[in-house]
Amino acid sequence: MSDTNLPPTETTSTAIEHDTDGATDDPLVSVSGLTKYFGTDTGLLDRVFGTEEPPVRAVDGLSFDIWRGETLGLVGESGCGKSTAGETLLRLQEPTGGEVTFAGQSVYELSGSQLTEFRRSTAIVFQDPFSSLDPRMEIGEIVRQPLDIHELGDPAHRNDRVRELLDRVGLSADQFDRYPHEFSGGQRQRIGIARALALDPEFVVLDEPTSALDVSVQAQVLNLLSDLQDEFDLTFLLISHDLSVIRQVCDRVAVMYLGELIEVGPAAQVFNDPQHPYTRALLESVPRATSTEADREITTISGDVPSPRNPPSGCRFRTRCPAVIPPPDCALEQAAYREIQTVRERIDNRTFTAADPEASPDEVAARFYDRGIKHDLPEPHRGRLERAFTAVAKGEFERASAMLAEHYESLCERESPPLGEADHGAACHLPDE
Amino acid sequence: MTTDILRITGLTTRFFTSEGQINAVTDLDLTIEQGEIVGIVGESGSGKSVTALSIMDLVESPGEITAGSVQYRDRELATQVREDAPAAVDEDFVDLRAVDESIRTGLRGTSFSMIFQDPESSFNPSLTVGEQLAEAVEVQQRASSRPRSTRARTASDDYSFGNYLLSMALPSKRYVTEASRERAVGLLEQVGIPDPARRAEEYPHQFSGGMLQRAMIAQALAGEPDILIADEPTTALDVTIQAQILDLLGEIQEETGMTILLITHNLGVIARMCDRVAVMYAGEIVERGTLTDVFDNPVHPYTTGLLGSIPTLESGGNDRLQPIAGNVPSLRDEEMPTGCTFADRCPKAMEVCLDAPPAFTVDDSETHRTRCYLVDREYNEETALESTSADSMSDAQ
Repeated sequence: MSDTNLPPTETTSTAIEHDTDGATDDPLVSVSGLTKYFGTDTGLLDRVFGTEEPPVRAVDGLSFDIWRGETLGLVGESGCGKSTAGETLLRLQEPTGGEVTFAGQSVYELSGSQLTEFRRSTAIVFQDPFSSLDPRMEIGEIVRQPLDIHELGDPAHRNDRVRELLDRVGLSADQFDRYPHEFSGGQRQRIGIARALALDPEFVVLDEPTSALDVSVQAQVLNLLSDLQDEFDLTFLLISHDLSVIRQVCDRVAVMYLGELIEVGPAAQVFNDPQHPYTRALLESVPRATSTEADREITTISGDVPSPRNPPSGCRFRTRCPAVIPPPDCALEQAAYREIQTVRERIDNRTFTAADPEASPDEVAARFYDRGIKHDLPEPHRGRLERAFTAVAKGEFERASAMLAEHYESLCERESPPLGEADHGAACHLPDE
Repeated sequence: MTTDILRITGLTTRFFTSEGQINAVTDLDLTIEQGEIVGIVGESGSGKSVTALSIMDLVESPGEITAGSVQYRDRELATQVREDAPAAVDEDFVDLRAVDESIRTGLRGTSFSMIFQDPESSFNPSLTVGEQLAEAVEVQQRASSRPRSTRARTASDDYSFGNYLLSMALPSKRYVTEASRERAVGLLEQVGIPDPARRAEEYPHQFSGGMLQRAMIAQALAGEPDILIADEPTTALDVTIQAQILDLLGEIQEETGMTILLITHNLGVIARMCDRVAVMYAGEIVERGTLTDVFDNPVHPYTTGLLGSIPTLESGGNDRLQPIAGNVPSLRDEEMPTGCTFADRCPKAMEVCLDAPPAFTVDDSETHRTRCYLVDREYNEETALESTSADSMSDAQ
């Protein structure tokens, strides 16, 4: 390639600026209500004995658009369903429900030559460069395989194309007959990228393309991706858990939590002015590599992500949210209310166990109170909690749960907040309050 | 007043494999003060973890510590050892490499403790978390009552069929004593696990990654160690959980005054936690100093490169990243360069860099040391090598 030996400064063009101008009015990819459950087909024995478990709701009603030429970042913690979403919208997995259109055509209704055409115009780069390349194939064959399958051109032409691709992604064309184990992680990821580009796709899903790489090599690969995007007019869906990577390369960002989208918007707006408490917490949690980092105040969010088999009612983030909306008549500060909510959650999950089985219920209740509530609660809250813990100590979890629900049930538990249609929207009740 | 607790000098670890000698750690100097958090940062294969294992004397064959000393300050131990091995003792410092194996074993857990990267594979899946913690508690108690004991097994001497039947018949025997069971629950509570009494009865697979990492920290705390070595403690965790675990480590450090050696590839984690930091590359510390020295005034081109190649939240996404060209080098002895190990990727390499490795030189302040010729000479275009930075292979974009 002509620009192979340019020093880095001269290639610092408008590498990452992809405005949607010049794009048509229709999005390239349009996802609406996409749903993917796992474990929906329970066996006969399970049904007979009634031991069937609820399905894992990996992706639960995603709706978003991807415009031509842009990079949409899909970010979330592990297990939130982002990879499943990426695979399902390429129809590598069949969806449980919902609709995806690609260039105006419904992806799940394609068949025959139309499906082949769709497969040619889309591609995916996988996370793990060590397990996504066949160790017994030469890298030239690996990159050529899509061309072979789609029978494009004659063999000599295909080999030329492969050499060109290897050269383009920063490998040498004479490495054609080497095997994957001879390459480092970064080089293997380049091979994976060359394979994805072989058919000259329009749309590429990048599933954690750099998370297995060291930072210095990650930077090389990210730069390569943005150059390729400019050169070949690619549209990217970048799936990543790393917010800094998303910030670096994406034009728009979609934040997922437990199978749902909770915030979507232009990258600059989402990062500078996050609307959803979860997005805020995520951004705060990322440690910055600066010498003043130790002085930065952060409030960590407590707890773990709930199980996607049995997600919380209403807003799914409410079990960890540092800004749950208390009922109107509950004049408690947020931290104290948060504690009560966590106690209620634990009562519902029955995770209060007496350490000493011989203690009297009153003693056990007092110990539970100390463990669960660190704040000095005013009346009538104190009394309510004490009565609830006494019930818990006697094993009456349901009664305790009902007692507290009467006074402390939040709007966030009852209603699932909508994401809205705005350019930058967050699925949260807070702005309406 | 702060005093040194650990002085590592010239530590060198080699692996003698069938494919040749691997120079995992070379001539490593590091001093750690009592009660501080020191970070070691580097990419994969830079020798961070082997350094930790070498300090703990846990390097396994074909690896071997071939040179260097690890001096640990402990007055009682020094008095004890002085009779047998006077050469190993220097005032209150004991050279752990020069004393008997059994002494080193006795120190593990009580003086040094370690937490590992992957909590899922560090726990025994067939024992409850509480049992494993109680076992650690027992081992530490025995070790502190008989410091030179090497007995690490507690409940039973072996896993024979007879013992298996016995454990089936007497399930309550699994915890060695009621006291250690209570201590295990207390440890779980200390690391912020809700409902510790019940969680202690659960198996590792019932814990989430973050909870299991907490349990591992609890296990490391069982012997109230002076020095905690944390090898990538948050790498397998999500950012929100990572923030929780880092907070927890910080709190524990403040409460107990423990010294922590934190090993990670994540510069952000280093910045969040550490007082001082050492940057490793190809088995050597190439730069070390306070956070300000290393993050604000880096001297070594590798440190600069590392800082320039991480995307940040504040960058605005418009600045192009400045990657380091090339790949992480091989550590095989015959492939190692005679000069500076970073020379082939260094944008400021000079001819002198190829001839001999640079010394570990003091820079502006006493604490800031760098293994680079640039410390005491200006970078000069004329002595530069033919542009290695535009190396065709690696940065061809």
